[in-house]
Amino acid sequence: MDIIRNFPCLSILLSMFTAIICSALKGKGARRLSTILVMVVGILSICTLYLTGATGQSYVYVMGHFPAPFGNEIRFGTLEAGMALFFCIIMLLSLAGGRKKIKMEIDPHKENLYYIMVDLLLSSLLALVYTNDLFTAYVFVEINTIAACGLIMISEHGRTIEAATRYMIMSLLGSGLFLIGICLLYDMTGHLLMSNIHESIQMIVNDGMYTIPLLVTIALIVVGLAIKSALFPFHSWLPDAYGYSTVSSAAMLSSLVSKGYIFLLIKLIYRVIGFDTFLDSKIINVLYIFGLAGMIMGSVNAIKENDIRRMISFSSVAQIGYIYMGFGLGTTAAMVASVFHILSHAATKSLLFVSAVGLTDVSGGKKRFEELTGAAYRNKIAGVAFTVGALSMVGIPVFSGFVSKLLFAQAAIQSHDKLLPTLIVLAISTVLNAIYFMKTVIRIYTPSHGKYDSVAMKEKPLYAITLVCFIVLNVVLGMCSEPITGWIIKGLSLFA
Amino acid sequence: MDHIILLPVALPILAGIVLLLKKEYEKRKSLLLYVGIVLVVTGLLAFYGILTANKGVTLFYITETLPIYFKADMIGKFFASVVTVVWILAGFFSFEYMKHEKNEKRYFGFYLITFGVLLGLDFAGNLITMYLFYELMTLLSMPLVLHTQKRESIMAGLKYLFYSFAGAYMALFGIYFIYKHGTTLEFTAGGVIEAAVLRENSGLFLVVTILMLIGFGVKAGMFPMHAWLPTAHPVAPGPASAVLSGIIVKGGVLAIIRVVYQLIGVDFLRGSWVQTAWMILTLITVFMGSLLAFREPVLKKRLAYSTVSQLSYILFGLSVMEPQAMTGSLLHVAAHAFIKVALFLCASAIIYQTGCTRVEQLRGIGKGMPITLWCYTIVSLGLIGIPPTSGFSSKWHLAMGALSAEIPVFSWLGPVILLVSALLTAGYLLPVTMQGFFPGEDYDASAFKNKEPKAVMWVPLVVFAALTIMIGIMPNILTDMFMAFAETVM
Amino acid sequence: MNTWMLFLVVLVPCISGALTPVIPWKKRTHMMIYLETVVIINSILVWMMLFNRPTDAFTLVNFTGNLAISFQLDGLGTIFAGLVSFLWPLATLYAFEYMTKEHHEKVFFMFYTITYGVTLGISLADNMLTMYCFYELLTLVTVPLVMHTLTREAILASRKYLYYSIGGAAFAFIGMIFIIIYGINPNFVLGGVFDPATVALGKDIFLLVYVMAFFGFGVKAAICPLNSWLPQAGVAPTPVTALLHAVAVVKSGAFATMRLTYYCFGTEILRGTWAQYLIMAVVIFTIVYGCSMAVKETHIKRRLAYSTVSNLSYILFGVVIMTPVGLVGALSHMIFHAFMKICSFFCAGAIMHQTERHYVHQLDGFGRKMPKVFAIFTVSALALMGVPGLCGFISKWNLAEAAVESGNVLAYLGVGALLISALLTAIYMLTIVIRAYFPGSDFDYESISDVKDPNWMMILPLVVFVIGMVVFGLYSAPITNLLTAIAQGSF
Repeated sequence: MDIIRNFPCLSILLSMFTAIICSALKGKGARRLSTILVMVVGILSICTLYLTGATGQSYVYVMGHFPAPFGNEIRFGTLEAGMALFFCIIMLLSLAGGRKKIKMEIDPHKENLYYIMVDLLLSSLLALVYTNDLFTAYVFVEINTIAACGLIMISEHGRTIEAATRYMIMSLLGSGLFLIGICLLYDMTGHLLMSNIHESIQMIVNDGMYTIPLLVTIALIVVGLAIKSALFPFHSWLPDAYGYSTVSSAAMLSSLVSKGYIFLLIKLIYRVIGFDTFLDSKIINVLYIFGLAGMIMGSVNAIKENDIRRMISFSSVAQIGYIYMGFGLGTTAAMVASVFHILSHAATKSLLFVSAVGLTDVSGGKKRFEELTGAAYRNKIAGVAFTVGALSMVGIPVFSGFVSKLLFAQAAIQSHDKLLPTLIVLAISTVLNAIYFMKTVIRIYTPSHGKYDSVAMKEKPLYAITLVCFIVLNVVLGMCSEPITGWIIKGLSLFA
Repeated sequence: MDHIILLPVALPILAGIVLLLKKEYEKRKSLLLYVGIVLVVTGLLAFYGILTANKGVTLFYITETLPIYFKADMIGKFFASVVTVVWILAGFFSFEYMKHEKNEKRYFGFYLITFGVLLGLDFAGNLITMYLFYELMTLLSMPLVLHTQKRESIMAGLKYLFYSFAGAYMALFGIYFIYKHGTTLEFTAGGVIEAAVLRENSGLFLVVTILMLIGFGVKAGMFPMHAWLPTAHPVAPGPASAVLSGIIVKGGVLAIIRVVYQLIGVDFLRGSWVQTAWMILTLITVFMGSLLAFREPVLKKRLAYSTVSQLSYILFGLSVMEPQAMTGSLLHVAAHAFIKVALFLCASAIIYQTGCTRVEQLRGIGKGMPITLWCYTIVSLGLIGIPPTSGFSSKWHLAMGALSAEIPVFSWLGPVILLVSALLTAGYLLPVTMQGFFPGEDYDASAFKNKEPKAVMWVPLVVFAALTIMIGIMPNILTDMFMAFAETVM
Repeated sequence: MNTWMLFLVVLVPCISGALTPVIPWKKRTHMMIYLETVVIINSILVWMMLFNRPTDAFTLVNFTGNLAISFQLDGLGTIFAGLVSFLWPLATLYAFEYMTKEHHEKVFFMFYTITYGVTLGISLADNMLTMYCFYELLTLVTVPLVMHTLTREAILASRKYLYYSIGGAAFAFIGMIFIIIYGINPNFVLGGVFDPATVALGKDIFLLVYVMAFFGFGVKAAICPLNSWLPQAGVAPTPVTALLHAVAVVKSGAFATMRLTYYCFGTEILRGTWAQYLIMAVVIFTIVYGCSMAVKETHIKRRLAYSTVSNLSYILFGVVIMTPVGLVGALSHMIFHAFMKICSFFCAGAIMHQTERHYVHQLDGFGRKMPKVFAIFTVSALALMGVPGLCGFISKWNLAEAAVESGNVLAYLGVGALLISALLTAIYMLTIVIRAYFPGSDFDYESISDVKDPNWMMILPLVVFVIGMVVFGLYSAPITNLLTAIAQGSF
């Protein structure tokens, strides 16, 4: 059993080494290697999950046995392990679903570069999930940013480069704020390890010292990560970045990259700042309001959009609003809901991106709605998958979106002053979601007359299998939410 | 043997349905024979029932608490006898008249069904049964109105239908409340709602009553819902407009009697604003109807306006809530029924024989159709109220009742308006007689020569004229009965 | 009777419906026989269950926390399940004949049959969550039916239908959450699941949530500002408009409001509050509004759809009176309106199927050419107007009785609205009838010589409905007694 404790660290290192090896390989080899890597990391995560689940506690892994303040720590409980596993699954499916497109859109000589970025992304995500050290977190935040930029602009054309630039600028702004926050924390507490900082902060708060600096620090960290995860109104980079990059990138960016930051934020809230301190800081009200605004505005923008990919991107803005709204509610139940929504949104959004590409492919590669008319008849599995994704986003029972909506609403009822706004905005947001997603679904099921050729399922077995997996994942999240929420609650309790 | 009263209701309805569903008769004679037999048999059964039946009959329950219940009380029997007499005679009249109309089978089918429905309305023993037959009466008499299928008559039929339904639904509003607060829906002298309940909800019940009055008043052509009547009655084929104007409107009167005297109770209403409003409405109608009739050049329309006016005589008598006035009203029910049917039949006979519809075309008609015009003249005198006709005695009682009711203003205003209206009546009915018999020295009346109709048409006219005079001479047989009835309900 | 039967009857139509397009049919007749058999067997199962009720609930899955998807057959569910399972085989029979002129039959019948199962799911749901799930599913499985013809009009209609329904459900969702969190009992209980003490803490919020949930479910029942999807959805094939948009879907909305009002929030708490008055005022307005629009409309099916709008609000009016008698009124109108409206829609469908005529003014003289259809149409028109002796009178009577008994002045006004609506009903229904029977003396019957009655598959359901209307109209005591027992919780 003890060997499993090494797995988290091992998986981070493994992904970094794979990235290095990939640089020496050709496209095909890199692809295979990376795929194997993701699988291996997934298996390692399963083991970790098994360990933490069986023992019911979290572990600290001290790298190189150097104790603090010099050493570097990894800490993992059930939630971290599960998250890592989930990220692997989504990544695997996103890569599989977008494989054809990667081949088509990327210069063959640079294909290995793409997989390098993927490996780096995986390593940084794992690090964000597992690390117990603030500085490590910062480093991997940056690596994550760079990898993400690479993923965006790997298919070189004007739009992606512009999008990547925008993403870079906004992201760096976020990282900068985050960095200042960390500096201030270090200044106040003299530690970089999360558990140590936490102790110090408890003392500071109890003594009533540094009230304003602490508030500023929390604000900086939260805002920094919020910008990076595209909370409204810092979302301007998002539609382009998701809308024009190759499909695997879009799927991974929307479901993994931003979720990595959010997960980091949850970790900081619980492990560094302390949940109670966070609640007292009033920052949550700001998050709450921005969250609500994001839920509405993201959907409103999506309704206006006439490009299917950008529409899905704007929908992400709305969904991230949900998650931050959960933070803003400031109860454990709401946190559970937010974490669940991370999962359900990741599963659904990547499904939507991957299926949307199937639909645009059979419509002459055009992403405008009028071209998509009848696309679901031309590519049946993509049509079904898109419908499932849309229904899940709208929050129809059986699919994952319904459960997160249910959890959010249940959580909302526990906080009295935020009860009505939350419920009403939830309802309005559902209506708005219904408007743009159902419009699209009906559009793709409206027959058109033989403008484009249809594609049979057999021609793209991998793609079809991927979509089926996504659908199953969605339904599993929707139907078997009981053990999953149980796992989240347990994981969060291990967090602190 | 109390079930006997169901037979005259059921027989014509079934016979009518059979007739409607059957294929066309090859010979017109066999159709007429069939209708004639049904009419006569129904008439006999009806009279037999009227004479023998006393107890109520519950047919079945449509819900737990709503029975379909028949009971022939005095007032019902009276209305039923009037209906029977008129229906049979007008039926025989139509045998000849309908010759020149199409779709005779449909006409007679609905004619028979409506007969049964009317008898059902008269024999209805509780409010819900009465409402059932009231609605059916509207629906089933409508095909008679739009029989000719001209655009004008179809529109008139619709108007008739929608006014009637509007009225029926206003009444239904009241029925719901009476059902809730009343002890029973069965017609009971003096009302079914306990005095305490009435006092508690007096505002509510006054509103309900006025709604029911206006609602059922639609059928009786009471202002402000009278507009359908002058449109719908004249467009029907002659005999149909006769029974519509003479009989079917009386359905409204019967319903109002039932509601005011046998459900709500006069004690509650006497002296209330509802009574005042009701009297005002009836007097307006009386005067307005006569005036409009006076101005109308088309004979059948003129008669229809006259119906509007005369019906409100009856309603005025009822609104006074005094036994003698009520006696007058009931007497006027019979009087007006016979007179108005006779008038319409005269007009139909004239149209049938000559095609003339407007009053000024009838100059010299007396030369060619003396029997018809004589009958017309006699019943006209009856309607004006000249002794010794039925109209005189009914109006006498009406006026006397109003005067003795001692209601401020209305006690004298009512009779005055009735009198003025009588003058107008003379003004709009008698010119036909005058010009018909005395067209002037140099007028050439040869167009009407030998236009007297067949016996099957003029015999009913004579019978009605005779009845008018008979009631005028011997009103006591009826008035004693009515007085007794009026005493029980007041 | 085993409790799993409760789920079986939901599952059978869903599965056999889903199989329809998969099986390679040699002949259309085979598919017809298969579907009709499935539907009839399922209906028999339902009726067996109704007469031999399982006492316990059947729990399918645990969703999250103490929430479960579970089924139970109580009084209210008995009525709705009985109604639906009685109508479905007849409507299916009718649909076979009607759909001969339409395309994509297999897909159509797949969804048509699945809808049967989903509707039963709504009627048998044991708690709010289960009902909500099936409610949403109902929206989804019926959209393809509305879209069926795939014309531009149909697409727009189904889009609107979706927006409205999902939007409504979103607001109903709020109510559901409230019930789940604050309710003492997760299941439906006559009289409500809330503790009055809890409610007293925040009564206005509580009422606000109730109002939102009522309007949310009210969308399907076409309550006034949210009704425009229903007439538009009339572009669907007639079996859909008749069965779904006059019965299954819209009655699900009304049924849900009953569950919400009587079985979740509880009438004791709601009666006499501003919430009741607000909803009642809107409902009364809808009653009159629907009828007025029906009078204005000249497309036959749209006219009937507006009539449905109005009649559904009759049901809601009964619901919102919030007394057991009110529930009796609402339930009786739910049953009787189903008969009347499905019958009149089928007549309209028969006309469209036989003659391709869609507008009222094209029906001149049809009474003579389609005697059976128009005789039946006339009866259903009279029933809708509430002529005594037919079932419409009974339900109006029950509703009015409840309104009068409640002693609520606004309810008195509602009685007035019922009657105004009855008059308007007379106008919009009888104008059709009169037109058909009395086209005018100069009408040329030669011009419609191609018009004739449809075959037995269309006539048989109509005859059954007419018999139902007359029988219920003349002898309604047993059914009213049953409804009273249900409303008092003794069934």
